[in-house]
Amino acid sequence: MKDLKDKVAIIGVGCTKFGDLFEQSYEDMVVDAAYAAFADAGIQPEQIDAAWLGSYSPYGGHGKASVSLADSLRLYGKPITRVENFCATGTDAFRNAAMAVASGMYDVALVLGAEKLKNRPMRGLSQEGEHPYQTDGLTAPGIFAMAANRYLHQFNVGREALAKVAVKNHANGSKNPKAHFQMEITEDQALKAPIVAWPFGLYDCCPTTDGAAAAVICRADMARQFRPDYVLVKGLGLSVTSGRPWYDPNFEYIGFSATEIASQTAYKMAHITDPVKEIDLAEVHDCFTWTEISNYEDLGFCKKGEGANFVREGRSALGGDMPVNTSGGLKSFGHPIGASGVRMIFEVVSQLRGQAGARQIRNAKLGLVHNLGGPGSVACVLVLGMS
Amino acid sequence: MAQSAAWRVMADRRRPDRLFAASTSPPYWQRSMASQIAAACDLEFTTATADFGGSLRSGFSALRAGIEAIDVGAASDVIVVASDRRDPEPESADELAFGDAAAAIRLGSQRTIADVVAHASRSDDFLDEWRRDSDTHVHGYSSKYTLSRGYEANVVALGKALLAQAGVKASDIAVAALNTPDPRTAMTCAKHLGIAPEHVCDGFSAVVGITGAAMPMLALAQALAAAKPDDLILAIGYGDGADGFILRSVTPAAPLEITEPGALLYPSYSVYRKSRNFLRDDSRGPEISNVLWKREERQNVRLHGTKCMECGTMQFPLTRVCCRCRATEGLLEAPLPRTGSVFTFTKDYLYDAPMQPTVMVVVDLDGGGRFLCQMTDCDEREVRIGMPVELVLRRMRESAQNHSYYWKCRPVKQAPAKENA
Repeated sequence: MKDLKDKVAIIGVGCTKFGDLFEQSYEDMVVDAAYAAFADAGIQPEQIDAAWLGSYSPYGGHGKASVSLADSLRLYGKPITRVENFCATGTDAFRNAAMAVASGMYDVALVLGAEKLKNRPMRGLSQEGEHPYQTDGLTAPGIFAMAANRYLHQFNVGREALAKVAVKNHANGSKNPKAHFQMEITEDQALKAPIVAWPFGLYDCCPTTDGAAAAVICRADMARQFRPDYVLVKGLGLSVTSGRPWYDPNFEYIGFSATEIASQTAYKMAHITDPVKEIDLAEVHDCFTWTEISNYEDLGFCKKGEGANFVREGRSALGGDMPVNTSGGLKSFGHPIGASGVRMIFEVVSQLRGQAGARQIRNAKLGLVHNLGGPGSVACVLVLGMS
Repeated sequence: MAQSAAWRVMADRRRPDRLFAASTSPPYWQRSMASQIAAACDLEFTTATADFGGSLRSGFSALRAGIEAIDVGAASDVIVVASDRRDPEPESADELAFGDAAAAIRLGSQRTIADVVAHASRSDDFLDEWRRDSDTHVHGYSSKYTLSRGYEANVVALGKALLAQAGVKASDIAVAALNTPDPRTAMTCAKHLGIAPEHVCDGFSAVVGITGAAMPMLALAQALAAAKPDDLILAIGYGDGADGFILRSVTPAAPLEITEPGALLYPSYSVYRKSRNFLRDDSRGPEISNVLWKREERQNVRLHGTKCMECGTMQFPLTRVCCRCRATEGLLEAPLPRTGSVFTFTKDYLYDAPMQPTVMVVVDLDGGGRFLCQMTDCDEREVRIGMPVELVLRRMRESAQNHSYYWKCRPVKQAPAKENA
């Protein structure tokens, strides 16, 4: 397998405010995120050689194909590809763009993740392409709740550990003006909230959100002509496991091997042997509070079963030795599916450049991005660092 | 209901010169409800009657028309009655929330209960609740967006316009009368206007229910009884926009009796349902594919799985490649065990089902294999990891004019379970 380390640079990023953007269309969000990234990179739209769009939901005809990026930006004639890989859509779009730039095929590429979830009159995500009755009764919270329930049972952990993740991520989100929710919550509030799918209460679940984020990348050897403080791709990995783990007699329901494999691939490429010591911050996929606890373990921050203590001891807090989800995470920043992965890249790049305001991690040099899609089926991990 | 409300404000048996009737559920599309009421109240043939409808605020629209008729001297005594008997969607949350009611208010040129200080309207074609002429029940969207952009935006904007027109501050308002889509929303909306929730009259939403076109009138009647002399009352009726008033109380109205004395209660749900002539709506839902049904019969109906002769793994659904050793040869179709134990589960309150929560279970089948299904015939408080279960065929949710059958699991009572008991 070829090595991608230090071959691709991020020279510009942009991100809309996330939230219930009832007054903004899909096109509005795409334009805002893309032009922010163009301005950040100091380039004109025409300078883009190719683009990758990460969008999950084909609501209203948008997102279905690459035309939704071309028409939003009126950027016609360029090679554009739409990527969809469950909730790992945004990072997989980035991964494909990075590989194309590393191959030498293109010099400058745009990666854009966008999702319009709040055009629907009703709550939650729409169901599509489901088997008519095999999975009848299954919801997104329900899928992860079944894993969380098994985990709490096996390691004798209480719901209080889940609440601590929500409290931490809400605290971080309260320091982030682009976050969907900008309010702190207490552990008591989290524990007493209505149950969505046991053991998850309301504050254990990320919201449905509108938003878009973008990144402009180029060949590393030409990055300096755009800006001095460019960020390099140090490593990346993607792993796909079963989309129906409930039928796998060997699945333990206490974590996700896709994350383990994707992170091992990325660490190897980035020459990382001890992630907690070497990596300064991580944006991980906390679609539900328990998912973040499992991520600590699957990403190798601690051993299986020790994730609850990792958050209890404050190690993943802003002041901890491995700050996780400084942005507020999916929990507080929101989760517009295809946009989330690119939004994580936006946060890590902001941190590495020292532009994260009240959330700034001092002297951050190396950051991790982790996206998880489906019932733990698709994981994408990126390691980003300064040159 | 409407006639008896009108009759109550005619206690002096003096006949009004106008009678306006408002409803979103009039018994006839063509035949005047106002004229029917006028006849039953024995009003003169020269009475000007008019029907208002189409919107939850139609009672307030009628009230405004009556006030203007008196203002210009065209009328001196107007009765406005609003009533609704809306059928909710059978077995929906609306069935619990909705109530039937009628309320009447009498307008005159003399100072009696309250003076009109200001009145104003807004028109906003917004899709939150509707009923087509062919529909038997109300349809609607319920979400944060619907409430904030529909109800709240209109009520707050009209409230501010009325305060400005009357030249008073929100803190000067002693009582606010608001109709509301649910007991909570009127309170949050009042807060946004700067009015304390304890000053809100919402037409007895918690007791009588959500009463459609009657609700703004019921709330106003409640406020007129609650206000003290000289108190300012803000009244807003929402629906496709809003109509509203600021009134100054002169003499408080008599407290309301909100139930018809001697009214009979329905003895059971089935009697209620028969009396309202509810029919199950089965036109919705995904179509059943007879292609899929037949192709997957062995798997989904006969409940066959695949046994790998290389590594011995029993698995579901039927597969061409072993999930464990990836063998493609030596895969045998075999009946799936129909008993097992709970490996993990969740109790899901998000899933839209007639009874909540939906208990979803991953079953470890006895003799190998895993199965995902709902649990049925169980007390949700009793569900545990390790609990023994058996698979049973059940009718799943109804689909477009069809049934679909699949497997659920139910607890089996037996000796202590093997694992994690």
